[in-house]
Amino acid sequence: MHSAKWHARLLALALMLAGLGSIAYQVQVLNVPLSESEKDPVWIIDAQISFDARPRFPIKVRMFVPPMEEGYTTLNESFVSNNYGVHVNREAGNRQVTWSARRAEGRQYLYYRLMMTPRYGEDQPEPVGPQFRSAPKLDGAEELAAKALLKPIREHSADVETFISETIKRVSDLDNDNVKLLLGQDTSERNRVRLVDLLLAYAHIPAEPVHTLRLVESQGQIPELWLRTFNGEEWLYFNPMTGQQGMPDDRVVWWRGQGELLTLEGGRNPEVSFSFHENEMGALEMAQSLNQRNQRSFIDASLYELPLPSQHLYKVVLMIPLGVLLVLLLRSWVGVETLGTFTPVLIALAFRETQLFWGILLFVTITAFGLLLRGYLEHLRLQLLSRLSVVLTFVVVLMALVSLLGYKLGISTGLSVALFPMVILTMVIERLSIVWEERGANHVIKVGLGTLLGAVLCHFLMIQPFLSYFFFTFPGVLLCLAAVMVLMGHYRGYRLTELVRFRDLLNSKGETRP
Amino acid sequence: MIGWRTRKALRKRGVMGINRRNGDYVLRYNPRSQYPLVDDKIRTKELAKRAGIVVPPLYGIIESEHDIRDFADLVEPHQDFVIKPSQGAGGDGILVVGDRFEGYYRTTSGRIINPEEVDFHLSGILSGVYSLGGHRDRALVEYRVRSTPLFDRISFEGVPDLRIIVLRGYPVAAMLRLPTRQSQGKANLHQGAIGVGVDLASGITVGGTWHNHKIDRHPDTGHAVSGLSIPDWNTCLELASRCYDLTGLGYLGVDLVMDAEHGPMMLELNARPGLNIQIANDDGLIRRCELIEQHLEERGDHPLPEEWERVKFCQRSFAVYLD
Repeated sequence: MHSAKWHARLLALALMLAGLGSIAYQVQVLNVPLSESEKDPVWIIDAQISFDARPRFPIKVRMFVPPMEEGYTTLNESFVSNNYGVHVNREAGNRQVTWSARRAEGRQYLYYRLMMTPRYGEDQPEPVGPQFRSAPKLDGAEELAAKALLKPIREHSADVETFISETIKRVSDLDNDNVKLLLGQDTSERNRVRLVDLLLAYAHIPAEPVHTLRLVESQGQIPELWLRTFNGEEWLYFNPMTGQQGMPDDRVVWWRGQGELLTLEGGRNPEVSFSFHENEMGALEMAQSLNQRNQRSFIDASLYELPLPSQHLYKVVLMIPLGVLLVLLLRSWVGVETLGTFTPVLIALAFRETQLFWGILLFVTITAFGLLLRGYLEHLRLQLLSRLSVVLTFVVVLMALVSLLGYKLGISTGLSVALFPMVILTMVIERLSIVWEERGANHVIKVGLGTLLGAVLCHFLMIQPFLSYFFFTFPGVLLCLAAVMVLMGHYRGYRLTELVRFRDLLNSKGETRP
Repeated sequence: MIGWRTRKALRKRGVMGINRRNGDYVLRYNPRSQYPLVDDKIRTKELAKRAGIVVPPLYGIIESEHDIRDFADLVEPHQDFVIKPSQGAGGDGILVVGDRFEGYYRTTSGRIINPEEVDFHLSGILSGVYSLGGHRDRALVEYRVRSTPLFDRISFEGVPDLRIIVLRGYPVAAMLRLPTRQSQGKANLHQGAIGVGVDLASGITVGGTWHNHKIDRHPDTGHAVSGLSIPDWNTCLELASRCYDLTGLGYLGVDLVMDAEHGPMMLELNARPGLNIQIANDDGLIRRCELIEQHLEERGDHPLPEEWERVKFCQRSFAVYLD
């Protein structure tokens, strides 16, 4: 007996852990939103490209767009232009869009829009970076200056990371003669980065400049230059001006290499302006839209993959165990007497179709009528089975009358009783009749009210949208319910009603007899 | 936990709740396969007779329409008799004939009925009007128990009966069930009969219960329910105790009646006896059951002792009135 108890407890624990584990996995790893209303940030990045077209020249505009390698998922990308051909190609880790047109006149405007989100951006193919590059050719004075610069850098560094930091620090020292020589007159950021890159290349350190934009509500942002190196596992980012290591999370790599953002043929005065705007989108909606475009989201291998009618069905069906658990608690813990365990849940399902008010009205009137008829038939001394058959026949007749009446009066919504509630009502009347046979009329009233109470509570529980979402999205919660049910199977304590029933036992002198 | 203090107090008194009874006693000690033995009164009676337990003598069994035609011959030698459905519940369908009057029958409530009505009643029983789930049933015709005048002062019509709860052959508690006006002569607590606890050691009644309340007097007659001595008390307990060996049901409610002439007789058995016996005795069943279980554990693998020994143990352990 005790071993069975421990066995049950272990089973309950295992079920509970399995259920919680599956929910935790879905939340932590698959990023499934916990509630339907959960929102995800969505960034909308607009790039406006404008230029003056040169008459009688074919136009070709090339612009880098983000390769979307790590950390983000593209929701939507659009290229808007009038009379331009659009073409996107990938090249050396960059993505480039090309707009082209044979003829155009006046100021031209092209638009690029990217919508992206940080969710689901985790799992990306292993990045591969440069491992080795050959040293560039330098002429006499420059080679000397480079060597002179690299010597202390090499001495003050231990590995690639410190080497790069040290290089950035040295190049930032604009008073240094060697730096002056190598930079020439141009001390711009871009040239300094070029020099850092050159020095690193000369020392055979693999590194590359990347152009980044920051995800912050803004207008007219200018791409910021960063330097990155590949340590064999991941990219390490350096700020080429400060030497600071590690790029903030809110920066997106737009393109890499020394190239210009925009290259224009057949036009003049090109301008690019970025605007960043943050928006929100329902996590579920987002996953569904990603799924439609065959992108990875938590919808894979979930009930959301089912066809829509089946989804609607399962949204209801998965709530049934919750209702059953509630009835179980009502019976074994509170002590409410109901018709079986499943009947109140079935009635609650019927309420879904009839609406609660009409459902209760229907339940009470038709059940009362059925039982009254039963009482009358008792005088005729009919056999149980024929008595029940007569009762059920008249219940159906009454339902038809009620529906007809409702239709004539124009309250069709509530009273258009569907097949399902009818079947359940007849079943309830049959079972209540049997209770009447076995336990008497008082007990029927008690059980009938208990069943109605259970059904109403189940109904309220089962129509909660957040619960229905939760159960449908995290079916593992059913295992947790099963765990509670297993534990309830060994509940030996008093029912709440028994606290009242046995209260006279406590009012006595209270002495415990030997 | 809601009502934590009440729960604690009830636990301390050893009060048994429904969950506890179902889980730790009925489910544990009563094999489902033995239930038909107690659900069918004819089978219970035959079993008891073979084991030498006193039951109301059986006059005959009505199994078919053919038997109904011979009914008059069957009851010819008996002045009074009882007709019962074999698988009825809650005392429904029981017809008690106390006398004859010029070819008519007179029920104990004074109604005169003709033989055709009795035939109709019998055919109703056979077709399952009173049986659980409407199955075909059998009717039994048996000796009418005559109430001893002893309980007249605290009983309203009908025949009182004695419910004894037996755990693995050990009587746990006893309660006299007395009909009231409300229960319409039926000794069923759900229908308003009163229950009166009985001291196992002496057979003297202690106090009563009616609708979950403790009472001192019978609601109809107004007489005190305590202090009454039940005759042949040890025979009653031994009879009840033997019903365990009979059925193999470890947690059993045994219903006995006290016949004016024949003394205690076993009427029927119940595999899920009710819990109000605790209020009648003002004592918890758990407390008593655990004492017995402990005693059985100490005995280990020894075979069960004789009835009188088991009864002695319980009388020693649960005595209320000390000599």
